[in-house]
Amino acid sequence: MEKFHNIGTTTDWIVMLVYFLLVMLFGSYFGRYNRSTQDFFFGGRRFSWWLIAFSIVATGVGSHSFIKYSAMGFQHGLSSSMTYLNDWFFVPFFLFGWLPIIVYTKIRSIPEYFEKRFSPSARFLATILLVLYMVGYIGIGFLTLGKAAQPLLPEHFTLFGQTFDITLMGIIIVIAIITGFYITFGGQTAVIFTDLLQGFILLFAGILLFVLGLDYLGGFKVFWDLLPVELKLPLAQFNEPPSFNFVGIFWQDGIAGSVGFLFMNMGLIMRFMATKSVDEGRKAATFNILAMLPISAIVVSNAGWIGKAVSIAQPEVVPPSIVPDQVFVVIANLVSHPGVFGFIMAALTAALMSTVDTLINATAAIYINDIHRPIKKYIGKKVTITEKENDRKELFAARIASIAITTLGVLSVLIFEKFPTVYEAHGFFHSTLTPPLVVAIFLGIFWKKFTPAAVMATFIGGVALMILGNYYPAALISPFDHGTEMDLKHPYTYIRALYNLFVCSFVGVIVTVTTVYQKRIVEILRSKRNHLQIFYLLNSVSVAIFISIVFNLFPLTILLPLAVVLIIFASISISYVVKYDPTNNTEGLTAWSIAKAKELFKGRPINDREGKKIKVNWKLKDGDDNTINFSENDMRTMAAESGDLVYISDARGYLGGLKSVHAEYGAPHNENGIVYINKEQKLTGLFVEGRPLSAEKEM
Amino acid sequence: MPSFFNSWLPFIYLYVVGGIFFLLGMVLIRRVKGIDMRQKKHRFWWKVMIFGYFYFMIIHALLIIAALYW
Repeated sequence: MEKFHNIGTTTDWIVMLVYFLLVMLFGSYFGRYNRSTQDFFFGGRRFSWWLIAFSIVATGVGSHSFIKYSAMGFQHGLSSSMTYLNDWFFVPFFLFGWLPIIVYTKIRSIPEYFEKRFSPSARFLATILLVLYMVGYIGIGFLTLGKAAQPLLPEHFTLFGQTFDITLMGIIIVIAIITGFYITFGGQTAVIFTDLLQGFILLFAGILLFVLGLDYLGGFKVFWDLLPVELKLPLAQFNEPPSFNFVGIFWQDGIAGSVGFLFMNMGLIMRFMATKSVDEGRKAATFNILAMLPISAIVVSNAGWIGKAVSIAQPEVVPPSIVPDQVFVVIANLVSHPGVFGFIMAALTAALMSTVDTLINATAAIYINDIHRPIKKYIGKKVTITEKENDRKELFAARIASIAITTLGVLSVLIFEKFPTVYEAHGFFHSTLTPPLVVAIFLGIFWKKFTPAAVMATFIGGVALMILGNYYPAALISPFDHGTEMDLKHPYTYIRALYNLFVCSFVGVIVTVTTVYQKRIVEILRSKRNHLQIFYLLNSVSVAIFISIVFNLFPLTILLPLAVVLIIFASISISYVVKYDPTNNTEGLTAWSIAKAKELFKGRPINDREGKKIKVNWKLKDGDDNTINFSENDMRTMAAESGDLVYISDARGYLGGLKSVHAEYGAPHNENGIVYINKEQKLTGLFVEGRPLSAEKEM
Repeated sequence: MPSFFNSWLPFIYLYVVGGIFFLLGMVLIRRVKGIDMRQKKHRFWWKVMIFGYFYFMIIHALLIIAALYW
C-alpha cells in the first residue's frame, strides 16, 4: 500500500497553528463560567436546545470521524454514510425513557443509576465497564488524530545530528499532551462553547471540501458517472466482504452503537443534561439526528467518494492502492489551495480533539462520582471542611483524573492500531464493549422485574460468554453470522455484536424469570448453620471459573458448562448478599414511573398547565430566601403557582442560556414586569444590570 | 447491476428489523405512560417520531433508486 508523507505547505501549518490557538483561547474564555464541579461537568443545566444541538455536531463528527469514513467511502462508496442514518430506531426509548430518568433522578453518572436501581456492587461493575468503554473511545480518537497527522509530517527528523523516526505513537503522545492540557483547564462550559464554534466551522469545512472536490472533477455529473453503481448504493452489500458488510454493521452500529451512543455515552448524555429542561434535551437530540447527522455523513465521507472518483479517472494522482486511512488528507490537499488545506485539516482535527475532550471530561466525571466520592465515603474521613473547599478539592482531583485518563487512552491505542483501518478497530470495539452495559441499562429502564442478580449475571456471565465467543468464533458466533464469511485474522468484527447482545440479553432474561427459584435456594442456604462459608465457596468457585474462561484454560466443551455454572452461582450469591426492595429500587428509576421521578425531582405535585414565556426586569432582594418573586399577573400568564419551578435567563436569545438560573416561585407581589432575585441567583445567573430577563415555568 | 440481495435486501432488513425495535419503543412508551397523549407537546413528539422513521426510509429509498437508475 502506498503511504504519503510531508503533505502540506508552511502556510498550511501556520493556518493550523493559528486555528488551534484561537480555539484554545475561545475555550479558556468560557472556562471562567465554571463556579463548581456541577458547572465543570454539566455546564449547570441551563442551555438552549440549539446551542447543544450544534455543539453535538463536533462530537458526533469527531467520534464517527472523517478519517475512518473517508477510508470506507474510498473503499465502499456512499454506503460509508449508513451508520449516520440508522440511529432513529431507538429515539422513542431515549426521548421518553432514558432522558427524563437521567434528568429527574439527578444522577451524575450512569454507574450512579446502577446503584440507585440495583446495588452498590452493580455500580462497581458498571463503573469498570463504562470506564473501559470511555477509555477505548478516547483511544480510538487518539488513533484517528495520529493517523490524520502522520501524512502531514516527514518520516523522520534530525536533531543535534541524530535522526529520529516520527512514529504513530510518538505523534499520538504529543497530541494527547495538547488535548489533556486544554481539557484540564476548561470544563464542560468551555467544551460546549468550543464545540459550538467548531460545529459550524466543521460543517463549512466539510462542505467546502466536497464543493472543491466536485470542482476538481468537473462537476457533480462527472463525479456521479465515474462511480460504479455498487459504490453509489447507500447501504453496503448484505453480508460481504467481512471487513464491511451491511448486516454486521447494522447490529454493531445500528443497534449496539445507537443504544450505546444514546444511552451510555456519558459525553453525549452530559450535553443533554446541560440543556435547561427535558423538552429542550429532546429538541437537541431530535434536531441532531434528523438534520445534523445526514449533513455530517456527507462532511465526513465525501473525501473518500471524491478520492474514489479521482482514482478511477486519474490513477496516477490517487493510486487505488493508497492506504485507506490516508485518503482524507491526500484528497483535501489535492483539491484545495495552500492555506485552505490547512484550514480544513485544522477544522476537522480540532473537532476530533473536541470529541476526545468531551470524553475525557465525561470520564473524569465518572471518576469523581463513582470512584473518588464512594472511596471517600468508604474510608469515612471525618474532616470538617466547607462545601466550597470540598468543591475546590474535587475540581483538582477531576483535573488530575483527566490527565490519568488521557494516559490510559493513549495506551489503549496499542490494541486498536493492530486493525487495518480505524473503522474496523472502532467496529470491533463497539461490538465488544457495549453489549453488556447496553443490555443492562435497557432492561433496567424498561423492565421493572429486572433484578440486581440479573444485572450482575449479565455483567459477569454475559462477559464470560462473550469471551468464549472471542476464543471460539466458529462455534459460537457463526450461528448468528447471516452468511458473513469469517476472516481468520479478525473474526466477525461486526456481527459478533449480535452474538454478544444475544448472550447478554439471554442471561439477563433467564436470571430474571428464575428469581423465585434463586430466592428459594437462598432461603435454604440461610437456614444452614454454615451459610457464610457456603457463600464464600460459591464466590471462590465463581472467580476460579471466570479466570479459567478469561485465560481459556480448558476446551469449549468444558468452558461452556462452566459458564452456565458461573451464571447460576453469581445470581445466587447476589440474591444472597443484596438487599433489594422491588418498590423502592424502581420508583422513579424505570420508564414505568417517570411521573413519579418528575414529582420527586420537584419535591411536590406537578403543575402541567401550559403557560407563556414572559419578559421581566429584575431587582435584588435582601436575605437568603432562595425563591424568586413575580407579580400575581405574571404568574398567571406563566400558569405558575408558588412552589413550582421556574427558569429565568438573560432575554438575549443568542446567549443560548449561558446567563440563566433555575429557581422556585415564591410568594407573588403586585409589581407587574418585575422579578425579585437574591444575590446568589444574580451571581449564578451572571445577570447584567439593566438587562431584562425572560422567565418560563419549568414544571 | 447489483443483485436484489445487495441493493434492496439491506433496505428491507434495516426497516423491518429496525422497525421492530422502533415499534416496540413506541408501544412501550405509551404503555408505561412515558408519553402522555393528553399533552399537546407530547402529541407533537409522537408525530415527530413517526415522521423520523419514514423520513430516513424515504431518504434511503431515493438514494437506492438514484444509484440503480440515475
